[in-house]
Amino acid sequence: MQNDQLALAQTRGSVDPRVKRPLPAWVSTTALLLPTYGWLTLAVFLPLLTMLAFSFMSATPMGKTPVEFTLKQYRAFIDQPYLLRIGFNSLMMGFWTTLFCAILGFLAAVALVRATVGKTREALLVLILLPFWTNGLVRVFSWTMVLRENGFLDNLLHMVAPDAGSISILYTRYAVVLGLVHGYLPYMILTCYIALVTIDDAIIEAAASLGARWWTILYKILIPMAAPGLISGAVLIFIPVIGSFMEPRILGGRVGVTMGTVIEDQFTQAFNWPLGASLSFTLLAVVLAIFATFSGILRRGTAG
Amino acid sequence: MKQIGRFYLIAILVFLYTPIIVMMAMGFNESPLYELPFTFSTRWYEALLANQPLLKAGANSIIIALTTAVIATTLGTMASVALSRRTFRGRSLLQILLLPPIAIPWLITGTAMLIFFYWSGIGRGMHALLIGHVALAIPYVVLVVGTGFKTVRADLEEAAMSLGSTPVHAFFSVTLPLLYPSILGAALFAFAVSLDQFVISYFLATPGYTTLPVQIYSAIRKGFTPEINAISTLLLLGSMAAILIFARFAKPGDTRDKR
Amino acid sequence: MTNVKVKSVAKTYGPIPVLTDISTEFEEGSFTSLLGPSGSGKTTLLRIIAGFIKPDEGIIMIGNNDVTNVPVWGRNIGMMFQSYALFPHMTIAQNVAFGLERRGIKGEAARKEVDRALEMVRLSGFGDRTPKQLSGGQQQRVALARAIVIKPSVLLLDEPLSALDRRLRQEMQVELLRIQRESGLTTIFVTHDQEEALTLSDKVAILDRGRIVQIGEPETVYERPLTRFAAEFLGDSNFLSGKVENGAVRLSNGTVVRSDSALPGNGADVTLAIRPEKMSLATADSQPNRLSARITTVIYAGPVLSYILETPDGLPLKLFAQNRDGRVLREGETVSLSWSPEHTIAVAN
Ligand SMILES: Nc1ncnc2c1ncn2[C@@H]1O[C@H](COP(=O)(O)OP(=O)(O)OP(=O)(O)O)[C@@H](O)[C@H]1O
Ligand SMILES: [Mg+2]
Repeated sequence: MQNDQLALAQTRGSVDPRVKRPLPAWVSTTALLLPTYGWLTLAVFLPLLTMLAFSFMSATPMGKTPVEFTLKQYRAFIDQPYLLRIGFNSLMMGFWTTLFCAILGFLAAVALVRATVGKTREALLVLILLPFWTNGLVRVFSWTMVLRENGFLDNLLHMVAPDAGSISILYTRYAVVLGLVHGYLPYMILTCYIALVTIDDAIIEAAASLGARWWTILYKILIPMAAPGLISGAVLIFIPVIGSFMEPRILGGRVGVTMGTVIEDQFTQAFNWPLGASLSFTLLAVVLAIFATFSGILRRGTAG
Repeated sequence: MKQIGRFYLIAILVFLYTPIIVMMAMGFNESPLYELPFTFSTRWYEALLANQPLLKAGANSIIIALTTAVIATTLGTMASVALSRRTFRGRSLLQILLLPPIAIPWLITGTAMLIFFYWSGIGRGMHALLIGHVALAIPYVVLVVGTGFKTVRADLEEAAMSLGSTPVHAFFSVTLPLLYPSILGAALFAFAVSLDQFVISYFLATPGYTTLPVQIYSAIRKGFTPEINAISTLLLLGSMAAILIFARFAKPGDTRDKR
Repeated sequence: MTNVKVKSVAKTYGPIPVLTDISTEFEEGSFTSLLGPSGSGKTTLLRIIAGFIKPDEGIIMIGNNDVTNVPVWGRNIGMMFQSYALFPHMTIAQNVAFGLERRGIKGEAARKEVDRALEMVRLSGFGDRTPKQLSGGQQQRVALARAIVIKPSVLLLDEPLSALDRRLRQEMQVELLRIQRESGLTTIFVTHDQEEALTLSDKVAILDRGRIVQIGEPETVYERPLTRFAAEFLGDSNFLSGKVENGAVRLSNGTVVRSDSALPGNGADVTLAIRPEKMSLATADSQPNRLSARITTVIYAGPVLSYILETPDGLPLKLFAQNRDGRVLREGETVSLSWSPEHTIAVAN
């Protein structure tokens, strides 16, 4: 023991003179950040800036057409009134999709929180969220199998009522909204669930024991509690929906003309990139306005 | 009340899964016009094996997704180290700059890329797709790895340094092993994001170089056969598997320090 | 074994000075506690010594080396963290061997050192467990073993015991002291528990708003506080203020108090500190210093009785008395207090 103490008491060569001075922190911080932000600049920020520049051009700078800078692309809504109608339709599509998602998703979140526990709840959540992370295109496509004439729904109906005429809601606005609700519902369920899961059972039991009826509990406790989830869910659904183009194309056919499909057309069919760019930025302005309005709530909703 | 709740949840699941299951089933139906009654057949899967363009698009998709996962995970993890462990001016601004790729509708991002890549001479095709996919995946990686960082206490690295580790050694011997589940989860996530990405690919693909979703889309628009159901089924199962594995790895706890 | 010198160290965060002109020496093999209220800069000073923070001004010497510009990993320090900071993905033995490996000690030699260190903290045979399989106290001891096995020049501890419950904490204090004595490591220990500081340390340094207001042996700092802050922070104190008059102090109510402390010249303002346990109830042969006061509160704590009193002119006082004869004074009684000039300390404000 005596020896051990002595051994420990000797310091093992104190300061190593060979240790290099470390690089200043900002050098390594920059080195760590540069690749990511360089990449994002190349792939996202510069493209957005270029698109902004394009939106002020009179024509796509291809070939020999002389290009001038103009504000006319932003006047498109005035010059081409049918765009107003399409814009309105897109907003309505966003509205209905968001509304249905809100109602169905809120109720599903309430059911998850109030009627399930533990492993069952976990399994249900995974099942609900799983399709959300799979290919949206494929899921939209799968609705055509259900909705088309002589599709799944049609056959189901004929099993129940053999004499009924054939139904086909494919290529209608209903089909588009149905497909969109299917695509975005899991989002709303998740945001509402996150907001509701913190509710203490005791609050609701106390309310019930005080004689509160279920609608009182719904209006006074559940909806206010779920409000941040409902709002962040609504924002996160409304934004992509008003910019969607493949759902309207596949499920809406000829009636599925939206801002999204019009913008797509400018790039793939009409080659009017400046118009496409100005429409995109108009859409982006709407998106930013929505974000700015709800950013506080969003931050709370997604942090929790 | 609980009964109604459970019944409702089952109804929601039926709503979510019916089209998917019908679509999958139709891939095994003999009739090319999706006619009933149902006759089991694997002919569409066999046809798939002979469909060169579709197979090639599928291979492209997987290659792009793998490359995206590797690049995005590497870059995103590096950025996450700085954003989670360093304090510097402008940090919150940099964090906010991660949002546009996620929050701006892909239609806008995709068309903006198309304009810029065309105008700057980068062009379209595989490299363009890769640039786009990595950019979309990076923010998710930073978020997932950043969440992982929160569970690895900073004082572990300090302890390692006090014992003689350089910051680099401390990172590789202490932080990285503890962060590994999150990084793997982030990689799977990036893989799934890229594999399922349609909108960006749609604008950046060329006739000679497409990905599976782009190929499926043009097939749907041209008039489809159950072959599309077959390949869609495979794609769906592939990404579901990736996400389930992700959920397994990204689960907090297990090997991490909970205190 | 080495001493540590801190010379004119200053650190500011933005406009706020966190440390101001700190100069002190931690002697070879000594155990020094840094004691101070929350936010006084204890952690900052410790982390500057460790090398995690660069001071704005001043230098740090470990032994004869100026290490101000040497990074943490080159300073050969042993550090213990409040959260233990054991590596959860390594076994106990791997944790302890980590620093040895960094110093090129591997294999059998490393194993021997690890065994010896674990023996020292009484954890022989725990080497193959993981940190999670140990209790808080055991983890703490592993952290200590890991810090001392590398034979550091200085051992730095930032409130290492504050996560433990009271019992375990006292046990660990004894262990820590034993190991420090056995290893003879220069040790700097941050705490805001004054009792802990007094029992463990060779030296106590009191920090107040980024300055060391007093450093010395526990007894000296307790018996001879230099400032009002030191007297108040370490233990309890009564304060009387007045003016110097012919080598004594006249209080505002006219009472004259004698002090053995060196007093400034006639007419100067002074503050006197008297420990509550140094006052007693006046009897015939009592000390020259006297005050009468009314008892407002009695706190009965078994062996000790605490009285809170008030002088007729409204000055609050405290008195600690041994519960020797079982006699407890009543609230409302007026008593006469006395104490000796030796225990009357003039302090700076
Ligand atoms: N990185 C930093 N940036 C800005 N201010 C800081 C930073 N670190 C510490 N401070 C400030 O410096 C002061 C001293 O902090 P320090 O942690 O040294 O106090 P402490 O004495 O250890 O307190 P405690 O007992 O609470 O641990 C505090 O007012 C704190 O707010
Ligand atoms: Mg501290």
